[in-house]
This record gives sequence, structure tokens and C-alpha cells, in this order.
Amino acid sequence: MSSKDKKTHQVFQGTLDLIVLRNLATIGPQHAYQIATRLQQISDGLLNLNQGTLYPALVRLEQYGWIKGSWSKTETGREARFYAITAAGQKALRAETEHWRRTSQLIERLLVEGTRA
Amino acid sequence: MIKHLARAIAKIQGLFRNSRVEEELAKEIATHLLYLEDEFLRQGLSPLEIHRQARLACGGVEQVKQAHREERSFRWLSQSLQDIRHACRSLLRSPGFSVAAILTLALGIGANTAVFSVVNTVLLKPLSYPEPDRIVQFWLNSTEGSVPGASIPDLRFWMQHAEAVDDISAYDLGEAVLGLTSGIPEEVHGVHVTSNYFRLFGAPLVLGRTFGADEDRAGSGKVVVLSYWLWKRRFGGDPKIVGKAISLEKEPYTVVGVTGESFRTDPEADLWIPFQFNLNSDNQLHYFGAVGRLKPGLSLSQANAQLRSAAQAAQRQGLLPDPEYAFVLEPLRDAIVRDARASLLLMQAAVGLVLLIACANVANLLLGRATVRKREFAIRAAIGAGRGRLFRQFATESVLLSTCGAGVGLGMGSLGVHALLSISPGNIPRIGVGGASVGIDWRVLMFTLGISLLVGIVFGIVPALRAWGPSLSQSLNEGNQRLGSGSSQSTMRSLIVLSEVSLSVVLLIGAALLIRTFVALRSVNPGFDRHNVFLMEMSLHGSQFATTANVARLVEDTRQRLAGIAGVEIAAATCSPPFGNRMGLPFAAIGTLSGNSGSTGDAEWMSVSPGYFAVLRIPVVRGRDFNEPDGKGAPGVVLINETMAKSYWAGKDPIGQAIEIGRGIGPDFEDRPRRIIGIVADTRDHDLSQPPQPTMIIPLAQEPDGMTRLGLQFDPIFWLIRTRLEPHQVAVNVSEQLREASGGLPAGRVRTMDEILSHSIARQNFSMLLLGVFAMAVLALTAIGIYGVMAYSVTQRTHEIGVRMALGADRARIRNLVVGKGMLTAGLGVIVGLAAAAFLARFLAGFLFGVRAWDPMVFIAVPVLLALVALFALWIPARRAARLDPIEALRVE
Repeated sequence: MSSKDKKTHQVFQGTLDLIVLRNLATIGPQHAYQIATRLQQISDGLLNLNQGTLYPALVRLEQYGWIKGSWSKTETGREARFYAITAAGQKALRAETEHWRRTSQLIERLLVEGTRA
Repeated sequence: MIKHLARAIAKIQGLFRNSRVEEELAKEIATHLLYLEDEFLRQGLSPLEIHRQARLACGGVEQVKQAHREERSFRWLSQSLQDIRHACRSLLRSPGFSVAAILTLALGIGANTAVFSVVNTVLLKPLSYPEPDRIVQFWLNSTEGSVPGASIPDLRFWMQHAEAVDDISAYDLGEAVLGLTSGIPEEVHGVHVTSNYFRLFGAPLVLGRTFGADEDRAGSGKVVVLSYWLWKRRFGGDPKIVGKAISLEKEPYTVVGVTGESFRTDPEADLWIPFQFNLNSDNQLHYFGAVGRLKPGLSLSQANAQLRSAAQAAQRQGLLPDPEYAFVLEPLRDAIVRDARASLLLMQAAVGLVLLIACANVANLLLGRATVRKREFAIRAAIGAGRGRLFRQFATESVLLSTCGAGVGLGMGSLGVHALLSISPGNIPRIGVGGASVGIDWRVLMFTLGISLLVGIVFGIVPALRAWGPSLSQSLNEGNQRLGSGSSQSTMRSLIVLSEVSLSVVLLIGAALLIRTFVALRSVNPGFDRHNVFLMEMSLHGSQFATTANVARLVEDTRQRLAGIAGVEIAAATCSPPFGNRMGLPFAAIGTLSGNSGSTGDAEWMSVSPGYFAVLRIPVVRGRDFNEPDGKGAPGVVLINETMAKSYWAGKDPIGQAIEIGRGIGPDFEDRPRRIIGIVADTRDHDLSQPPQPTMIIPLAQEPDGMTRLGLQFDPIFWLIRTRLEPHQVAVNVSEQLREASGGLPAGRVRTMDEILSHSIARQNFSMLLLGVFAMAVLALTAIGIYGVMAYSVTQRTHEIGVRMALGADRARIRNLVVGKGMLTAGLGVIVGLAAAAFLARFLAGFLFGVRAWDPMVFIAVPVLLALVALFALWIPARRAARLDPIEALRVE
């Protein structure tokens, strides 16, 4: 919302999974609205995230066994489903981060090569 | 890839706790929306606006839920489950429709399952031997047909020239009935086989050994191999049976082995005896079958090519009379099922038509339902169901119907198949005793499942296509008014009725042709009097019957005893009774015809005792019958039938001419010259549908010893008795006298000549009966179909009829309108059906006798019958239309 001239990005499915995991690992258990708000904040509005698209990612991660959802009360007294990262999730996060770094380095290198040629 | 596995498990779990997950999701999103609303409130939006903005930011509540569902579960699976649940509910809502549809399909599928399980057992199941596809049988092909018979010189020739075939073995083509005389006498089925027969079929053994090659030689020891079942039943599974002697035809045979439980041969046997003959014999009689195994790596066509290239050598040796004859190898299974194949396939085709018509009726029902449910589908489309999804819903419902039908049909089929076999003539090969080998196996299950899916999709598509039909709003509107049914709708239904009518025409014509065939066969005059004659048979083996004189004495003695029984008119004996086995032998006419050398031709040959022609009341057209003085010492005499007289002595008088029978085909057949003393009337006593063959008949007492021995080895002697009373009233006395005369040999199988004749046309009877039942079922289904469509159409057009009446149409006119429309459809169906039948009738030609495939009477009678049935089916809706009260009709919306 900060400005319309900034180009907004669509995120890849795998990337969204990684971001959600990282976020949960850093901040701790959160509910869906918190995660969505947080993602918008850190991307400085660059991510064009329809808040609804978060749900399939949450289902997916939970089915992988990487996060776990449980019901509890928020500070305002509302019933919400809080998601927390699991041990398997921590492990997956490390592996995925490593994988992502290598991929981005590789692509970076290829792009640089491309400009030199 | 653990994560994928974990996910798959989670997805499957998700299928079963769907409602809880849905509930939680709804709650979760509700909370989410509250937070968003809070945020928009902070941004200063109006309370009305925040509600909308929160949902927009989320991308729509239903959309989020749907995305969640698609992510958390197998979409296709959950949708299918949903479809199935929905289909179940909707079928349960209209139980009348569902029961009618399921029963119709069950009948169609059940009948198909029943026929297929027989086809499967007979034509599809492999033989129960190791590598059954490599076992081949030798056939002799000629322009007149093919026979599986082999002679000793043939066998010798194949052993030398058919290098592609191993383990060439000889065996009896039919089973010999032997008297097992140790203990209580009983008749058992024995088969003569050469030693390598057991190796060829991979016979398992539980005890002892099979025959050695030295036991194939003529005159070597009397040994026997028992089947597992005879060993268990008769000898109590005696573990020390090997080496013991059992008595067959009062002669001792040493048991050398017992085969395994699973070993079954065709023909079925209780025991096996070595086929002992001199392999160097020149005996040209074809009296056994020969089988062998293809050498590894060689194909059937290679082996056949080898036999073809040896044909010239075979001709030089006189084994193949001319180049039109050939030796051919055929897979054993094909050889066994040869006669049954065509009629089984005919039945399968016919029963397939029944299923098609059953499907047409169900499609009709579904179509009627689809119209009623038009609004339901329009609404579902309006709230977002795609057309593909609606299509799937239809398909699910129809497949559900057909699967239920298949379930019921499978049960009906497995019961039906035994009903089917109990009326079958009992000459279907490979089905075991009483059809014991016929059952439901995986092939039958796959077949039933396959046809039920196919059927479900086929008849489901018709109404489903309707769902793609007119636009939404049109359907929604059309539901409100019943001014006529959609024209595409009624075209579709007319097409279904049309195809039903044409399919019934095809099936009815087939059935009618078979009925005419059967009637024609029944009315064939066999040339003898079948009434009040019965047969009993007795096996004569062993040294006491080695000479003709001994046999003739037994026959004469027995005839006199039988004649003394009250109720017996006259008795006779022969080895070749009507519809029994008969030899064909060459003969040479001496003097007048073709000189003294070479043969004049071939004719069927039989020997009979005096009285044979009197028992069967076959008239002696010219000359005289045999009598007692025509014995061994008397001059040689022979009778010929009219066909033989016509074929070889056209325009001349054969009486008084001399012929020599069986010259040059081996010492066993050496016979003296015989004078023709009379001509007997022709009989059709092989196959009622075949014209009489040239036949020569000699007195039993004058038969050469060699032929007597050979004949009795394979066939029992048959006693023919003409009675004054019911045959069964005298049978007990007759069998007592037979036992006394023969010194205690068992005589068995009382059959009346009537039974034998009926049995000879049992297969035609069976085909006719089955096709007749199918045709009746189809006629009923078609009538129901026509009725259903027209009754529906009248309901749909009530308003229109009201208008017509208001404008002055009288009742007769309304009735004619309905009848006319229905008859037009039926008429078109009849025309299409006649064209199809005219095309298909040629395939039936092989089953027909005394009627042409394009029999005009059948091709006229069947359309008339169908027209009457259609008229009958139309009458009820037409009358209802004519009786409508115009005021009421106009009020109908």
C-alpha cells in the first residue's frame, strides 16, 4: 500500500513456504492474520499477497509435518489457530535455505556471465 | 521424499474427517476477517465498508475455502466421493426408478455373465497341462472337411517326417467303456495311449510309473495306469496297489502306476491301457488320434510348413489319396473346442444384443429423469458447477446404477449358468461333469466389471449430453411450462426406440431361423421307425471274442433268448447302430466295373445280425434281407443302400454283382468277394441334416476275424430291441437275459431310439431354446421401451392435446396421432433391423437346415410380429390421450 509505482511481485509456491517457515522460526507461533501482516511488513509491500493464498501454503506445510496448528486465545481474547514450527520443520528450513542460497547464487552467476558475454 | 508420503497420508485422512476440518477452517477464516475488519476500522472506513474490504483483502471467503480444500485433499477423489454420495442420495430418492433400472441391467449383465463364464471355460482357459499352447494335434484335411483320425502308417510317417514335433503319441479319440470285473462289475472309461502320452501331457504321478516304450509293442504285457479318482474310489487309495492285478473284461491287468489328482485328459479317463500295435503294420484304418509337442523354438507355422513339404512323400506312400488332402497340425485346444466354438460365439453375440436393449431401456428411463431434473441441474449450474462437473455427476449416477446391476447380475449369472448347463445337450467340451469346471474366475469378474463400466458410460452419456444442451436460462424457464418437450429430447428418445426395435428384429429373425431349422430337423424322415425301439450296449473284450464265430454264436443265442421275453417283438445286434461310429472302407466291383484292379470307391461299412432291418423297419427295396443261413460257411453276401446303388450302378441292376471290400488296406481287412443280394432303403442315421451316404452292409457272421477284433476293441456291441410294450417295462428282463447269455458281462445304457434321435439334434434344440428365450426377453423389453416413450410423450403433450381438442379434433384423431407417431418410429426401426439382419444372416448360415438365411417367411413374419407388439404397447398411452378431458388438459401447465 505504500506506493503504487513500486512493482509488486507474485511469489512462487516454494518461496512462500520458505518465507512462512523462516518467519515462524524467528518470531514463534502466530496465527494466519499475523503471518500475513508480517509478510507484508517485511516485504515493504513488495509482495502482492492476497491474504487468502496463505491458507493453501499453511495446509501444505502442516501436511508435510513441518508446522503444527493449535487453537488458543489471542491477547484480545479471540479464538485463533496458532501455527508453530516443528523439529522436522526446523530441519527442512535449514535444508531449504541452503538449497535456495545455492540456487540463487547459481542464477546470479549465470546472469552476470550473461551480461559479460 | 518423506514429505510427499506424509502429505499423501494426511490427504487420505482428510477424506474421512472432512466436516471437522471444514468447521475449523470456517472458524479460522472468521477470526482472520475480524482482524482485517479491525484494521480497516483503524484506517477510518465506514462500518458498512469494512465488511466488504475485509473479504476483498482475503480474496473471497468461498474462494479461500475452495483453495484450501483443493490443497488439502485429492481433488478428484474427494469430488468423486462427493459425486457418489450425491448419486446414492438421488437414486434413493426415486426407488421405483432405481429398482427398475438395476433389475433391467442385472438381467442383461447376468445373462452375459452366465454365457461368458461358459465361453471362458471352453474357449479361453488354457488347458491344464504344462505349456499347453505347444501341444498340437494331427488332422487330415480335405475338401470335404477335416478329421482328427490317424492310422498306423500315418503315425509312422509323422514320426519320420514331422521333425518339429516331439513326443508324438496315439490315443483313442473316444473313450472305451470297459467292464471292471474285480469285485462288483462296473463300467469304467478307459483310453488306449502310447507310452509317451504321459510325458507329452506332463502327467504327475502319485505312485509307480507310466508305460515304457517296450509296452507299446503288440503282444507285450497287460498293464494299466489308474487315475487318482478311480484309485481313491474303487481301491480305497491302496498305497500298495502297484504290482497288483485288477480284472478288466475278466482279464488280469497289472497296475503299474497312479496319476496325480490334477491330471485330467480329454477324453476323460478312469484308467489308461497301452496302445499296443505293430508300428510296421499297413493297416490304413483311421482309428485313433495323434498329438505331439512342438520342439522348443519352433512355431506352429514352421511345423506345418514341414508337413506340407513332406506331402509328396505321403502321397507316394498312399497316405494322402490326392493333392487335395493334407496333414495339418492344430493346437490341441482349438481341436477340442472346434464344434462348440461357433455356437458359443453365436450365444455370446445374441446375449450381447439383449444387454444392448436393456441399456437402451435404462437410457430411456434416465432420459425421462433428466427432463424432470432439468431445473435441478440448471440451479446447480447457476451456483457454479461447470458443465464438466455436471457431466461427471450424470456419469457417476449411471455407473453407480450399472455397478449395482452388475452386482445383482453376477449373482444371477452364477445361478443362471447352472440352469443354462442343465438344459444344455451335454456335448460342450471342457466343462466337466455337469458343468463342474464352469465358475466365476478373474476373467469372468473382469468381464462383468468391464461391461458394467462400459454400459454405465454408454447409457449415461445420452442424458449427460442433454445436460450440455440448451442454455441455462432456457432450462430454468422451460421447467415452468410443459408446452411440448424439447424437440432434441424427443428425437433422442425416438432414436433409442428405433434402435431397440431394430435390435429386436435382428434377434427375432435369428431365433425364428433357428426355430425353423429345428422344426425342419424334427420333420426329417430318418428312414427308419424310431418308435418302440431301445438299445443296450455291452463291451466284448478278451480272447473269448477273438473270432467272429464266437461272437456270432453269442449273438444268435442272445437273439433267441430275447425273442422269448414277453413284450419283445424282435432283436438284433450290430457294432454300428444309428448315430454310432461307422467305418468307411474302399470296395472294388468285380467284373463289370473298372476291371479287377484298384478300388471303385469308398462307402460306409457295417455288419449286422439278422433282424436288424426288421427292428428298425427299414424296407428292403429289392432282393432279399439276410437270414440265418447267411453264415460263415455260406457264400459271401452284401446289401447296399439306394444311394450306393444310384452312385455306382446308375441305370444298371446291381443285384447279382460281386464286390470285394477293403482290398489292399491291410491283412485285417482281407475279405472274400461278396454278391449283392438286395438294396435297402436309405436312412439318415449319422446326422439328420446330412444326405444319406453310400453304405454296404454285411452279415455279422461273415465278418473277417481281424475286423471283428478291431471293431470290438473300440466299440461295444449294441443290442437293438423292438418291443410291443413301453421299452422300460422290458428293459430289466432284457438285461438279465443279456447277462446270462454272455456269462455275466454287464450290459448298460438303456437308450430308446427316440432319445438317440433327440440327442442328435440336441445342440440345435439348445441354440433354438436359448435364442428363443433371449428373443422373448428382448420383445418384452422393446414393448416396455415403446410404451414408456409414448406414455411420456402423451404426458408432455397434454396441453397441446387439449388445444387440439378445443379446436375440434375428435378422440379417434387424437388416438391416431399418438399411434401414428409411435408406429412411424417402430416402422423405421423395423427397416433398419431388416437391413442389419439381412447382412448378419449369412453368419447364421452354418447353423441352418431346411431354411435359407434369407427365408422370406421369417423376414415377413418378424416385422408383422413386432408391429403387433408395438401397436399393443402404443394402445394404452393412445387411449389415455384420447380420453383426456380437454378442459383439464388445458389447465395443465
